[in-house]
Amino acid sequence: MDGLKADSRTQQIKAFALSAGADVVGVADPLAWNEHVPEGHRPADILPNVRSIIVAGSRGPTGGAWRSPNHRIMEMNGYDFRNDAAIHRVADLIEQQHDHQAIQAPGLPTGGHLPPFSMMLAAVLAGLGTRSLAANIVLNPKYGLLYYSACLTTLELEYDDMLEEGVCPHHMCVESFRRFGKTPCLAACPSEEGGCLDGSIDDQGRIESSYYDRERCVSRAMNFGINSFQKALAQIVEEQDEERQSTMIHSDFFSRSCSAITHYKESVAQCFECMRVCPIGRSERKLK
Amino acid sequence: MNAVSQIDFDEAKSEIRAIAAKSGVLVSGVAAAEAFDAAPEGRRPEDILPRASSVFVIGGAQPRAGDWQSPNYQHMEVTTTSDRIQTIALKVARTIEDQFGYYAVCVPPGVDRGQQPFMSIAMAADLAGCGSRSLAGPVLHPEFGFMYYGAIITTMPLPADGPLATPACPAAECLAMYDAEGTTPCLATCPADDGGCLNGHIEGGRFTDRAFDSARCTTRVQNYWVPGFQKVLQAALQEPDAEKQKMILFSSMFSRTLWSMTYSNVSQGQCSECMRVCPVGREHRTRQ
Repeated sequence: MDGLKADSRTQQIKAFALSAGADVVGVADPLAWNEHVPEGHRPADILPNVRSIIVAGSRGPTGGAWRSPNHRIMEMNGYDFRNDAAIHRVADLIEQQHDHQAIQAPGLPTGGHLPPFSMMLAAVLAGLGTRSLAANIVLNPKYGLLYYSACLTTLELEYDDMLEEGVCPHHMCVESFRRFGKTPCLAACPSEEGGCLDGSIDDQGRIESSYYDRERCVSRAMNFGINSFQKALAQIVEEQDEERQSTMIHSDFFSRSCSAITHYKESVAQCFECMRVCPIGRSERKLK
Repeated sequence: MNAVSQIDFDEAKSEIRAIAAKSGVLVSGVAAAEAFDAAPEGRRPEDILPRASSVFVIGGAQPRAGDWQSPNYQHMEVTTTSDRIQTIALKVARTIEDQFGYYAVCVPPGVDRGQQPFMSIAMAADLAGCGSRSLAGPVLHPEFGFMYYGAIITTMPLPADGPLATPACPAAECLAMYDAEGTTPCLATCPADDGGCLNGHIEGGRFTDRAFDSARCTTRVQNYWVPGFQKVLQAALQEPDAEKQKMILFSSMFSRTLWSMTYSNVSQGQCSECMRVCPVGREHRTRQ
């Protein structure tokens, strides 16, 4: 054992995570999952005797990428995996210097389309953000949209409290909703006009209801990736005319779909419009 | 964050270069955003980042001396990619934004519509003095020869370096060979008039009339990547014999194609022969 008390050990690990590239870091109690997710998706289902969940968040696109008039730039450049890198280094630190087990929580589906571990829930339980009206994306009070990774460990750490106040809606959005019946995100992608989002805000300025059409969003946010590859492949296989089939295989669309799988690391999504108009974290993206 | 008036841009440039070098970059330089007038509209720095002022270019992560020495040429097929340099480019972009408060965006390494790059990183390297175009095609650094490049477009007004006064190609050895034999090592190894991809002449110590058959080169350099996948997919789907079709789909060729797509997320080539014989940077490819 390291001889440290849980609070100073926690501070040391958090400082290390920030130096390893994370923008924010928090710690959650693994038992907190019990009231939110079914068995099979809880930390102890992944690491027996787990005692702490360390969650690291990092900004995705740079401020410059947000400014680009070529929206395809963000398709390729939205993400740099710094949160993953930071969590790997934290896990190494815990195993090597604190002599406890530590693993990176799995972020991608391993069966069906559901991930075995929800990073969004982890971020909320670690006090790093709250769900928003915009596709339920977890927003951090300082940075807004962040990407999250988590480390499951048997090491005892001090837990963070969940945020008491919802980050969303921003007071500007509350005003906007009261005047126009829409917030910026709901107006950018309204479900009643072919978009993905709907929702309402109560008299106390809190989210009253929220609706997110995930399937519709996937068809727009992931035009060039596994989804588009599967869609195009089904059409290619069904095409009877060899000339047309050949054209489809060598088309720009299919080439980009293949490329997006190859470049999957960078090409995570192709629509950021609900986040582009979100006021939370905007000041962090405003540069010279 | 520094205030605008306090920034010494020469010093800032040195600081950014030092950070890049510490991260593993071998060469770096700056091109003025306005110097890209030879690029087509839509592919210039301003088209990617409004008010773009400079393009910071980094180079390195080239194959090691041991890679070049391996008798198994397939080894380089799966180990040489521009991955590492792109990771550092993202770090540099973050440094510019977080430390100096200017917008910065990495030029994505992949392709945009029509298989065209978002912006030519080779042109950026050339204009930033990190190397110069060669008869064989790649930008060569005078000391290190072939390397991978990354480019960061920024609104920060960094002092520009400008192109090299003396191009790296043709090297003195190549001039001597051209005088004696009418060819250079790269042209001799892949001559367009003998089924290869390269052609060109040297006049007054500079190359002229360079010709590069990019379609032919692709069929050789990217046997096991997206183009290879598309080719095999077409052959498999259009094979009427079910047994043969199965053989194609489970063949070594198709398996390797899928592996190469999975592993090579940024850039991968399977032919480095024109670079293998290039004298520029040879000493860095030679070890005991």
